[in-house]
Amino acid sequence: MKNIFFLLLLSSFLTTAQSTLPEVTLTNLEGKSVVLNRDFVEKDKLYIISFWATWCGPCINELDELNDVIEDWKKELNLEVIAVSTDDARTQKRVKPLVSGKGWPYTILLDTNQDLKRALTIVNIPYTIVVKNGQILHIQNGYVPGSEASLLAKLKQL
Amino acid sequence: MKNNSFFGLLCIALVWCSFWTQAQNNTTSSGVLSGGFETNTQWYLNDKGLKDEFNNPTAQPEEPLRSNSYLFLNYNYKKWTFGIQGEAYEQNALLNMNPKFNGTNVATYFVQYKGDQLEATAGYFYEQFGSGLLFRSWEDRALGINNALRGGRVILKPVSHFTLKMVYGQQRTGFDVTDAQIFGGDFEWGLSKVFKWETTDLSLGGSYVGRYEKTDIVNPNFDALTNAYAGRISLTHQSFYLSGEYNYKSPDAVVQAPGQIDNRLIKPGSAILLNMGYSKKGFGIDGTFRRLENMGFFSERAAKGNVFNDRIMNFIPSLTKQHHYNLANIYVYQAQPNVLLAGSDFVKAGEIGGQIDMFYDFKKGTALGGKYGTKVAMNFSNYNALSGTFFIFNPQDYDTDFLGFGQRMFSDFNFEITKKWTNKWFTQVSYIKQYYNRQYIEDAAGEVNTHIVAGEAIYKFDKGQSIRVMGEHMWADYDRKNWAAATVEFNFNSKFSMYVYDLYNYGNDLSHYRNHYYNIGGAFRNKATRLGINYGRQRGGLVCVGGVCRFVPESSGLTLTFNTSF
Repeated sequence: MKNIFFLLLLSSFLTTAQSTLPEVTLTNLEGKSVVLNRDFVEKDKLYIISFWATWCGPCINELDELNDVIEDWKKELNLEVIAVSTDDARTQKRVKPLVSGKGWPYTILLDTNQDLKRALTIVNIPYTIVVKNGQILHIQNGYVPGSEASLLAKLKQL
Repeated sequence: MKNNSFFGLLCIALVWCSFWTQAQNNTTSSGVLSGGFETNTQWYLNDKGLKDEFNNPTAQPEEPLRSNSYLFLNYNYKKWTFGIQGEAYEQNALLNMNPKFNGTNVATYFVQYKGDQLEATAGYFYEQFGSGLLFRSWEDRALGINNALRGGRVILKPVSHFTLKMVYGQQRTGFDVTDAQIFGGDFEWGLSKVFKWETTDLSLGGSYVGRYEKTDIVNPNFDALTNAYAGRISLTHQSFYLSGEYNYKSPDAVVQAPGQIDNRLIKPGSAILLNMGYSKKGFGIDGTFRRLENMGFFSERAAKGNVFNDRIMNFIPSLTKQHHYNLANIYVYQAQPNVLLAGSDFVKAGEIGGQIDMFYDFKKGTALGGKYGTKVAMNFSNYNALSGTFFIFNPQDYDTDFLGFGQRMFSDFNFEITKKWTNKWFTQVSYIKQYYNRQYIEDAAGEVNTHIVAGEAIYKFDKGQSIRVMGEHMWADYDRKNWAAATVEFNFNSKFSMYVYDLYNYGNDLSHYRNHYYNIGGAFRNKATRLGINYGRQRGGLVCVGGVCRFVPESSGLTLTFNTSF
């Protein structure tokens, strides 16, 4: 059994990076079902999908910082920010007042039982992916202050 | 076990074939293979400087090199998905994990069909009904929780505003499943769609969960089948929202300590959860009330209260703020849904309490907002044991008050102010005041009152470098008393960071127990891959994720974490 495990492990490194969004149902703040790769499919639009949680300090810093620049970015690029909350039932009720209190203009989706997070095998948040025409074109794993500049540079290339 | 391995091999074969199909014919029409790998490896070391309460130094365990590793593969072809997860706990699992996690094996696998109106899954699956108070199966690797069901699930969406889920299965425990059978259903109905309301959202939901577990007890006074029901409603009107749910669990034998099924105390369980709030841009307020009575629910009765959260069927998080400061995570509340009749001054049948959150943004350009705005968050939570009439001696019994606040178990008042000064400077300060009843929460002695003051500052240099500094102090009047902590983190660029931190229990009454818990480490991130390394000391106590906690012993050593997805 151990050998099979390592064989599979080896094979995993030979494959290429995941390129499409898995089909997972999320809910929005009004409780409606949303599927990312069906409901966010505007042609050539850049979707910045950021995984966060109310208890994750760096995630909130990232979304706060993005909020300061997003209007400027939108003048140059056709983009939309989707903030996917991975909060479980413990903290999920804090999502809505927090988002309002912060004045975030993002589309907020809830991944309450972490189905999407699991399908994308995300271990740590913050974790941001950029999707265009259904393809994952860029992954930013973690967040450090000031990384907006490199994200913008990347977005311009896509 | 054999059964599991057989299905596992079958799934490996399926995924393997798919992989080769893809490799040989590299077009999207042959499907997509994706997955992820994660390993947490720890090398435990002897540490003479790290003493416990009784002046014993920290010794490495047998098998000092341990790791938890997970490999997950997913193959998607049109409407079909096949998945498999292998897990390896080699030279044993990390300290204080469930001992059933040992060795290397296939852990979970599934095949799923997903159409527009029908989704069907066979194999292992994760699911949550409503808020999870009756049923949640999920995975939390840090806590060693994976209570997936092995069986089948069907989700029907005949119209866009109606969803029906049906599940049947046996629950995972270690690399095996329990004998008990679990089955249930849940519906969610969006009524506003039916009434064609534009500005108001109204939805109803309901659940049923059955657990069938035969008992060895002769002449049981309870049924093998325990039934649980829940109803919920959610209403949103413009900036205002409201939701409520009621959960009921049919009478069943009370288990006060793991393994002790009491055939003479047969009680039902219940949970009420109410939430309401108001939010508009720049302001949000939210209040939650919860009452729990005898609501612990496990796939095997005797498992109730086990320290590994093994065979847990529902999710009862502590509804308090999850702090990100180190010292604020020493006295962490855990929900108290269970019955314990230990003495005339120590009785529990559940908890009652709630929390309030408030968020406010002083706008840019105002006196308090300054150039970049100022953000304020406030939170208060309080939980008491349920009061009532309790009979401690045989026959034991109790009768709770509906709105009865008994002994206080926990409270937490806190606020934080977040301020961006310039494009480069960012600060946050927090104040936290906690009350923690060790007897009711940990079954230890005493009560602790704490005051915590913490601050964080981030400065951005040019060329993508930044530094983060955090200072914390906790005044505590009991147990290990005062602590101080400091953290410095330096980010060289978006891929590479290093940090050092120390928690110092300088106020401990016992001089040998005034430990430093220092850690130094770094992380390298590239695309979907992260590599982390840490050297230092782990504070013994509860490690909590999402209000569910795992006890870890004090330890010292080197940790390597690696994860990637593809």
